[in-house]
Amino acid sequence: MRLIGWWARRVASAAATLTLVSILIFAASRLMPGGFAEVVLGPFATPEQQAEVSARYGLDRGVVEQYGLWLAAVLRGDLGTSMISGEPVTVEFLLRMPVTVELTLLGVAAAAVIGVPLGIVTAVRAGGRGGAAGRLAGGIGVSVPEFVLGSLVVFVFSRFALGLTIGGYRPLDEDVGANLRSIVLPAAVLAFFAVAVTARTTRDAVMGVLVEPYITAAVARGDSPFTIVVRHVLRNAAMPVLVVLTTITAYLLGGAVIVEYLFNLPGVGSYVVAAVGRRDYAVVQAGVLLAAAVFVVLNMLVDAATGVLDPRLGSAGEAR
Amino acid sequence: MTWIRGLDRLSLAGLAVLALLVGAALAGTLLGVGGAQDAIVGPRLAPPDGQWPLGTDQLGRSMLPRVLAGIGTTLLLSAVAVAVTATASTLLGLVAGYRGGWVGEVVLRGVDVLYAFPTIVLAILVAAVLGPGRSATLASIVLVTVPLMTRLVKVAAETVARRDFVTSALISGASHRYVLARHVLPNVAGTVAVQGTYALSVGILVEGGLSFLGFGVQPPASSLGALIQQGGIYLLAAPWLLVWPGMVLVAAVLAITVFGDGLRDRLEPRDSRALK
Repeated sequence: MRLIGWWARRVASAAATLTLVSILIFAASRLMPGGFAEVVLGPFATPEQQAEVSARYGLDRGVVEQYGLWLAAVLRGDLGTSMISGEPVTVEFLLRMPVTVELTLLGVAAAAVIGVPLGIVTAVRAGGRGGAAGRLAGGIGVSVPEFVLGSLVVFVFSRFALGLTIGGYRPLDEDVGANLRSIVLPAAVLAFFAVAVTARTTRDAVMGVLVEPYITAAVARGDSPFTIVVRHVLRNAAMPVLVVLTTITAYLLGGAVIVEYLFNLPGVGSYVVAAVGRRDYAVVQAGVLLAAAVFVVLNMLVDAATGVLDPRLGSAGEAR
Repeated sequence: MTWIRGLDRLSLAGLAVLALLVGAALAGTLLGVGGAQDAIVGPRLAPPDGQWPLGTDQLGRSMLPRVLAGIGTTLLLSAVAVAVTATASTLLGLVAGYRGGWVGEVVLRGVDVLYAFPTIVLAILVAAVLGPGRSATLASIVLVTVPLMTRLVKVAAETVARRDFVTSALISGASHRYVLARHVLPNVAGTVAVQGTYALSVGILVEGGLSFLGFGVQPPASSLGALIQQGGIYLLAAPWLLVWPGMVLVAAVLAITVFGDGLRDRLEPRDSRALK
């Protein structure tokens, strides 16, 4: 029963957060200077023409009424129609989802497969406050932003023919080889940061566990470091690592705007940003709302996982 | 300045690099080292040599004063934004953590809502509403950094509020205002300092990303992000346009990050040892 109550409260809280997000994003899209009619018709349109276009898309109604209509449609599962292409927003998103999902999967996989072991090893080897090398390496990893690393990668691979393509994205189901050649570099740029953040977090978490008395006891019993890591450290350090992997997933699913832009990839992130410029309200609103929903839902699942991983916190993280 | 003594070498090196960058920015903007940043002094896209140490850009302007001015703009924008964030987050975090109740709930809810926005999209929306430029960059950095700092200050304030010395102070008749100023604030100051340091590096990255996409600091003004954006256009012809500001930006973020790590170990100490 407690568990059901917990889920009910969490779902209600998530719904409240998303409602507030929807209000904020709606307000932001209508507060942008220069409305849709102005942008789409250009500077030489008469006020009458602008009014006609606005009326066609229902932009002449009251703001509250527009918001109500939008929210009602979203709750029915209708994200609206792109005012630029005339296609349903859902179709437009589905068209661009493969790029975003592929980048996300590759980035998160790298973070889990490379970042986590790296963090564990540097923590176990570190010792005291030392381990300056590990600290410096982790620091460098999180200090090189996508737009610097990505630009350098673009430079190196356009100057010297190294077999990988910049841009020229091909869908996975069309040509696997060409798809991988065009996605490896942007994925690597994203993975660089994801791996570094994950390694840093894992390192901190593991170092926090290593001071626990049960580790001392295990060392005294003569357990090997490998056994100790597998038996005690992994489970007890898992939470922060899970949180950071979730954050990376949500962040990448929200759209890797800069990398998509640099490598000319047709992903969701750059589409939403372009829609901001075109005042394509339906696309902007749906894009931000979906990204926020992904974030909120993933966080809810992590909270639930907390309770499973650490029963001390009570059923499904009921400690707070 | 006693806190400096407890820092390890790596953190001190970070602090030194940061001081060096601030000094360079001041030398460029106040003393005019490297010449005027908008004067056309040579051929276009000339590689670095004795006359223009960092090369020239697409208009023939020397890159050295532009990079120095860019450091100044970026650091100043981030620092001002972080000052705003630190003030706002401390107030909000104390309200949520010490007072609690429905007001605290409202604060936390607001912070959660901001948290749910993807960082760069949030920044771009702010720039679209306010118009691209410095104020949009400033507001973006504040909105991106406030949620995390507020949450952590809240947790710290909550922990302190449950301690015995707070209870005994309240039983002895101390006012909430006195307890907040005397007991709670000093105990959350460490959290604010550490998170403020990290927020400074986030600020530099947000400025960079936003300006890189063309929504931040606008040419002809220079910031590290704006310089990197323009350098990207001439990447194949003149890589130094991107390499210098890029290296400086990475150095700044790295210096701040390792300094923040050292500050955290110093202010929020935690024993650690190797597994042998």
